[in-house]
Amino acid sequence: MLARSSELATYSSDGLPGYRLRPRLAVFPTSKQQLIDVVRLLAREGTPFVARGAGTGLSAGALASGDAVVIGLNRFNHILRIDPLNRLAVVEPGAVNVTLTRAAGAHGLHYAPDPSSQTACTIGGNVAENSGGPHCLKYGVTLNHVLALEIILASGEIVTLGNADGEVDGYDLLGAFIGSEGCFGIALEVTVKLTPNPQGVRTLLADFTSIDAGARATSAIIAAGILPAALEMMDGPTIRAVEASIYAAGYPADADAVLLIELDGLDAGLDADVRLVQQHCLAAGARTVHIAANEVERARLWQGRKKAFGAMGRIAPDLVVQDAVIPRTKLPDVLREIAAIAARWQIQVCNVFHAGDGNLHPNIGYDSRNADEARRVGMAMRDIMQACIAAGGTITGEHGIGLDKLEYMPLIFSPESLAAQCALRDAFDPERRANPGKVVPVHSCREWMGA
Amino acid sequence: MSTAAVQECVRTRVGPDGSGRGTPAGPLRIVGNGTWLDAGYPVHVGEPLSLAGDDAILEYVASDLTLTARAGATLASISRATRAEGQWLALDPYGSANGTLGATIATGSAGTLAHAFGTPRDNVLGVEAVTGTGAIVRAGGRVVKNVAGFDLTRLFTGAWGTLAVITEATVRLRALPERDETITLALPSSVEMEGWLTKLRALPFTPLALELLNAPLARALGLGDRAQLLGRLGGNEDAVREQMRALGALGEMQPAPMAAWSALAEIEPPGAAVVRVSAPPSRLHALWARLSIASEASLVHAAVGRGIVRGIHPASPHPSLAPWLDVISQTQGTHIFERLPASEWSRVPSRANDPLSRAVRRAFDPQRILNPGILGESA
Repeated sequence: MLARSSELATYSSDGLPGYRLRPRLAVFPTSKQQLIDVVRLLAREGTPFVARGAGTGLSAGALASGDAVVIGLNRFNHILRIDPLNRLAVVEPGAVNVTLTRAAGAHGLHYAPDPSSQTACTIGGNVAENSGGPHCLKYGVTLNHVLALEIILASGEIVTLGNADGEVDGYDLLGAFIGSEGCFGIALEVTVKLTPNPQGVRTLLADFTSIDAGARATSAIIAAGILPAALEMMDGPTIRAVEASIYAAGYPADADAVLLIELDGLDAGLDADVRLVQQHCLAAGARTVHIAANEVERARLWQGRKKAFGAMGRIAPDLVVQDAVIPRTKLPDVLREIAAIAARWQIQVCNVFHAGDGNLHPNIGYDSRNADEARRVGMAMRDIMQACIAAGGTITGEHGIGLDKLEYMPLIFSPESLAAQCALRDAFDPERRANPGKVVPVHSCREWMGA
Repeated sequence: MSTAAVQECVRTRVGPDGSGRGTPAGPLRIVGNGTWLDAGYPVHVGEPLSLAGDDAILEYVASDLTLTARAGATLASISRATRAEGQWLALDPYGSANGTLGATIATGSAGTLAHAFGTPRDNVLGVEAVTGTGAIVRAGGRVVKNVAGFDLTRLFTGAWGTLAVITEATVRLRALPERDETITLALPSSVEMEGWLTKLRALPFTPLALELLNAPLARALGLGDRAQLLGRLGGNEDAVREQMRALGALGEMQPAPMAAWSALAEIEPPGAAVVRVSAPPSRLHALWARLSIASEASLVHAAVGRGIVRGIHPASPHPSLAPWLDVISQTQGTHIFERLPASEWSRVPSRANDPLSRAVRRAFDPQRILNPGILGESA
C-alpha cells in the first residue's frame, strides 16, 4: 500500500499528458484473496476505487481523485494455465500481454490482440479497454478473444461471465463487461483464446510521395476484399522521427507515407495475395513495394511501427495521441482535412495508425508549459474529432473514453442513449463506486426512466 | 414498423408515469418474419409487434464492407444485395433464409459458418433499438472498430428482445472467397476418432465450416449412408488446392454439392426438439460417441472447431431425449435448448435468472413488456 504523496505521483497520470489526479491511496494486491478482501473492505466503507493495470492507457481512464483508491493489479499477474489442445489460457488480470504471447509460443500459439504497448500493458487493462492493435484488422479485438471472466463487482459479489467450456446463452454480460473501462467491476481471472501462429507471413513496405496516395491504396486493398493481417500507415513526419531514432527501421526518409502491410496464413496462396496488394499499391502511386526477405527484416520493419510513439516522444516534451475511427473510404478526405487543421492551428501532426480499420491516430508533439501552444493543440484535437464524426466515424477505436473524451460523448450519442449506458452501469454497480466519473458524462445519468 | 411506431407501441404500455398502471394493453411479443416462432417457448402474451414489413437496406457502402438495414430486412435480401458486389454477411443461422436480420441478432443465431466467422456478436457493429422504457437508443456505429461508451450492442445481441426491440442494425461484411468448395471426408473408426479430430483441428488453416454428420443426417442430406465430415473450404486458388490436399491426407475425400449447407440449415422438421451440447473441443470425440448414435431417428451434427453437438429430434416418432439429458447432467460443458415441445420447457432452468441478469432486465424493461418469459425467467 502506498499513501505518501511522493509515492503516489506515479499513479497520478497514465500515457496521456494533460491529466494529473492524486489518488488517496494505492494498494497492490498480489493474490485473488487479497483483491477480494480489498474490494469488500471498500464496499463496507462505501469508498470509490479505480482499477489500474500498467498505466499505459491513453484516455486518463485509470486516474483516481478525491476519496478514490487506486487498486494496482500489476503484481497480480500470473499465467495460471495454458491449454494448447483447446487453445486457451487462464491468466490473472495483471499478466502482461506479451508475456502471455511468449508463454503460448512454446505451443505454436499466440494471444492475438497486440496493442503497441503490449510489452507493458496488462490483459486486465486490455479487457477494460477492449484493446485492439495492428493485427486486429484480421483477428479481431479483445472482445473476440475473451472466453470467460471471473469478476468481482463493486459490491464484493463474485460473478462468472461467459464459459470457457462451451456455448453460453442468456444475456451477453461478458460482451458488455469487455470495454467497460473499469466501471463494471474488476476481473479476477481472465480466460482467453489463443491463436495458432500462421504458417506463412509476408511483410511488405510500400512507400508513397503523398499521404493521399497511401490512403487511396488502403481503400483499394480493403475494397478488393483482401484481408491483410495488418495494414498500418505512417506519414512523413512519423517516418522521419522513427528514422532519426534508435528504432530506425529503414523506411525511406523522403517518403510522405508508407504502408506496412502484413499478409499471413497458409504459405500456399499467400504470394498470389502479395501480388494483388503490390498491384493496388503501385496503381495508387507507390514508388516501391518492398517485401521483407527474412524474419530479421520483418522485425525491423515492425519495430519502427511499434516504437513510433517512443520515437516521436524524443522530439517534443509532451505527446498527445488522438484516437478516432472513420469509414475506410473516407481516409483520403479526412487525412487531407487533418492536414488543414494542423496548418490552421500551426501545429505538427504525425499520423501513425491502423489504416485497414480506418482507426486514425494523429499524434501531436508539443510543450505543455507553453500555454498558447497547449491551447492550440486542444483546439486542433477538437476539430479533428469533429471532422471524424462528420465523416460518419466514432470518437475512439481502442483507447477508450476515460476522462479525456467525456465531452465528445454527447456529440455521438443522444441523451437517451447515454442514459441507457448509465442504466447498464447501474445494474453492475448501483453505487457508482467503480471508476467514478468516467465514460459517460455524469449529467447524462439522471434522466433514465427505468432507474 | 418505423422506430417511432415501435416507441409509441411500447409507450402505450409503459404508461404516462412509467409505472405501467392504467394501461390495459398487455405485453408484446416481438416478431420478425415468424420463421422461428414455433420454438415452443412458453411465451404467452397478447399482441405481436411485427417488424417484418420494415425491411429496407438503408446504406450499403461496398468499399467499406459495411451495411445498415432495418430489422425486418431478410438475410436472403441482404445476401442478394451483397453478392452482387462479391461480398456476404457471413452468418447462416439454422432455419429459413427468410429470417430477418433483427431476429438473427436478437436471438444471437449462427450456423455452420460460425467456425470461421463467429456469431452475431462478432459481426454486428451497431444497432438502433427501443427499450422497454420506450427510449430510442443507438449503440455502436457504422465503423468496424469502436469502443465509445458501454457496449449496448453486445447487450442487445442475443437478449431475445427482452431488453429492447432492435429496429435497425449495421453489420460487417466480408469479401466472398475466390473459391468456395464443399467436400465430404470419411470418418475413421471410433477408436481413432480422438486423434483424428486433434489432427483436423491442428491443420494450419481455418476452413469456412467443418461439421461431423451422423449417418441419418448424411442420408437425409443425400450424402450417402455413413457418418462423415462435411467441410467447406474458402480462399484463393492456391490456398484451396493446398487445403484439399491437407484434408485429403486425413481420409477418403469426395466433392459434395454446396447446396448441402442450406439443406442442413433447413433440415429440421416442424415440431422437432433441437438441443445443442458443447464442451471443450478436445472432448468432442466423447460427446460425439455418445450422442451421434443415441437414437436411430435423430439427426446429429457437430462443429469440430467449436466443440458443439447439435441434435435434431423429429416429433414423430418422438425419440427419447434421455441420452441427451443424461449427457447434459454429466458434462461440465454447456447445453442450449433451441426448440422443445411446450411441455418440456418447464424442466429447463432459466437462462436469465441470476441476480445480475435480473438487474439488467429491470433497468431496460422494468414493466416486463418485451417478450416476458422467453428466457424462462421468473417475474
